[in-house]
Amino acid sequence: MLFNSIDYIVFLPLVFFIYWFFFNKKLQIQNIFLLAASYFFYGIWDWRFLLLILASTILDFFVGQLIYSSDTKGKKRKWLWCSVIFNIGLLGFFKYYNFFIDSWIDLASVFGYQLHNTWTLKVILPVGISFYTFQTMSYSFDIYYKKITPTKDFISFATFVSFFPQLVAGPIERASDLLPQILNKRTFRYDQAVSGLKLILWGFFKKLVIADSLAPIVDDIFTNYDNHSSTTLLIGVFFFSFQIYSDFSGYSDIAIGTAKLFGIELSSNFKFPYFSRNIAEFWRRWHISLSRWFRDYVYIPLGGSKDTLWASIRNVFIIFLISGFWHGANWTFIVWGSIHALLFLPLFVSGKNRKFLDASIADKTLFPSLQECAQVIITFFMVTFSWIFFRAESLTHAWGYLKLIFFNTKIHSYTHPLGYRMLDYFIVIIVFIIYEFCIRKNERNPFISKSRYVRFLCYTILLLAILLFYDDQIDRSFIYFQF
Amino acid sequence: MIKLIKKSILYGFFLILALEILVRVFYLGKDNPTRYLDQFSVEKWEPNQHGFSITGNRKQNFSEYRINSSGFNSYREFSPSLNKTEIAIVGDSFIEGFHQDYYNSIGKKIENLLPNIEVYEYGYAGYDMADQLHLIYQYKEQFELVDHVVINLEFSTDLTRSEYGVIRDRLALESRTNKLLKKSKLLVYSKSIGVLDPIKRFVSGSIIFFKQLLNKSEINTNKTKAIALKKENKYIDNFKSLVSHYGYDKDRFVLLLDTKTTSPLFLSYLNRNNFEYLDFSKAFETSDTPTTLIYDKHWNNHGRSLIAHLITEYIRKK
Repeated sequence: MLFNSIDYIVFLPLVFFIYWFFFNKKLQIQNIFLLAASYFFYGIWDWRFLLLILASTILDFFVGQLIYSSDTKGKKRKWLWCSVIFNIGLLGFFKYYNFFIDSWIDLASVFGYQLHNTWTLKVILPVGISFYTFQTMSYSFDIYYKKITPTKDFISFATFVSFFPQLVAGPIERASDLLPQILNKRTFRYDQAVSGLKLILWGFFKKLVIADSLAPIVDDIFTNYDNHSSTTLLIGVFFFSFQIYSDFSGYSDIAIGTAKLFGIELSSNFKFPYFSRNIAEFWRRWHISLSRWFRDYVYIPLGGSKDTLWASIRNVFIIFLISGFWHGANWTFIVWGSIHALLFLPLFVSGKNRKFLDASIADKTLFPSLQECAQVIITFFMVTFSWIFFRAESLTHAWGYLKLIFFNTKIHSYTHPLGYRMLDYFIVIIVFIIYEFCIRKNERNPFISKSRYVRFLCYTILLLAILLFYDDQIDRSFIYFQF
Repeated sequence: MIKLIKKSILYGFFLILALEILVRVFYLGKDNPTRYLDQFSVEKWEPNQHGFSITGNRKQNFSEYRINSSGFNSYREFSPSLNKTEIAIVGDSFIEGFHQDYYNSIGKKIENLLPNIEVYEYGYAGYDMADQLHLIYQYKEQFELVDHVVINLEFSTDLTRSEYGVIRDRLALESRTNKLLKKSKLLVYSKSIGVLDPIKRFVSGSIIFFKQLLNKSEINTNKTKAIALKKENKYIDNFKSLVSHYGYDKDRFVLLLDTKTTSPLFLSYLNRNNFEYLDFSKAFETSDTPTTLIYDKHWNNHGRSLIAHLITEYIRKK
């Protein structure tokens, strides 16, 4: 079920009212209901994939207890590996199996061996598999690292794994953050619900007005890139930057907002990443829950930055490569991860990666300084160029796109594939950047004005914008669902 | 919780109100003229109305309409006489032309090309062949004074009926409830840009789902070739029936159609029986620029010019 579908608009209020009106007395029953609603939400796509979630849930539930009850470190580690191998195996089979087979055949052909491709399978990628497998693994990791004790309440644990707002595209929650909220009684708080509704509205605006309206333009430019001049190709990648940001952060806002309606706080996933002053800051602000997962469960166990310089560099590189590969079974994502590693490493080696840890741009001033502006623009351009690899279908496609940006330097005006006025999209993006700058200090509160009239005006304008850019004909699924 | 519900209702109400105001201020929602059934059971617009028609979310097309005293969108009144040359164009929304300024219609374009001729556009959204021939039949005295009658025909949609009957569903749009709903420009706007379509699909999808659940039967939507052929023959029979019932003057009447979307069977029937037709498919296919509007399948200014030229050439040859 998509957030931006009529099904969800019917589903959400229904679940919300039943949850608070009928099942608010007993936590156990409330969690059973939440689990049933989550399974229904997911089963609408394909009920067969529920079996995978269930398998992952059952395994980690028992593995968690076995890790906890094991008396030696070696046994604990053995059970942890059991969880990791199962979940990564699940992910590997459904997401990467065909990629490895194809890559193996390609590699063999380089050495002159022509292998017939009879091993690839017609495997459908289950929606959200990369997210919930990582979330269940975090439970086993947290028990292993003694951050939590295992729960004996299977229903609550299953609810933690499949909590519908964040099931298919995150934020990837750590068991130590989310599980206690599910295990403890929740009470309805007006302020929390209102804050959730505001985030949902803001998320819908980002998704419907920015991401969805830019999608046809980006698709057209990337698909027919060899027919376009460099200026158009630059528009294509510039728009993709905003499309992917609005799409994913819009999803996260709706997820966080929805969770608030049920009395649950999810962690932030985006903190205005395009206002970052270097790549390190960008990665502290972009897809935060994934970065944190890799940091806590891969980078630190590998030795983090506590080892020798070369070992630390190796660890950084591994993290970026895995992070790229996590996004999809394609070499383009690996190159994308490598580019970010290369951009990050100079900061890491010079010790500047810890700069801008807390303060946002123009933290104590109204406007950013010229230096900050330059830093933000340079970081944005680096990130934007790396998106070419992220969006391209293949490496050849990405190289071709890049080549034409630099060598097909004619200036051509671009017309929208459906004939709409292009100026509208530039205006929307500029207004969006200015507004995001105004709210840059708190990603959880997009309507900062203290005046209720100004806030009301903002809601009205957002809703009007949704109507002005609404298009029923386009594919409205979220980009990150494919990961 | 009660506070949240109360406040949500209050905010919802004020938001709808604010949006209604904004939609009116920016003129995003189209005006809806009133339709009626005249004394001859001909469905048309109530005479002497005026307003604006809008297409697309962001006013991609904004045009003015003017309903004349005969109940059709035109810059001129229809007063045929023996001492003038007149052309009547009868058709559906493509001829009605709410998507164009009434003073820049196909008829006006033809008049610009043929200065001594008056063009009367009898266009009404939803008209099919039965409506069109019934109109000509009921207003026989007027149409007999017209020198050329061009009838727009879309084979797949205009020949579903073998005789005329009042379409109550269309007239139901003028019911008290619908008239009341149409007063909300926000609702009109939302409907026109497709915001309400997912709701309609959801409701119809749910009904189909429950029907299937109850009947345990599958709805077969496959259209086999045999069914298509049967349908074509049925449409041709309907055409024959309509022509014999309401009359068709082959000397003055000509069909305007797209041969690319018309059944070859029907075309050969027309050829065999000396029904003249104007084919606009070639002009549209060879056009370098688009012939239809953005966000709408109707002809744009260029498309209308091509149609006007086609009719003009035909009249000149005559």
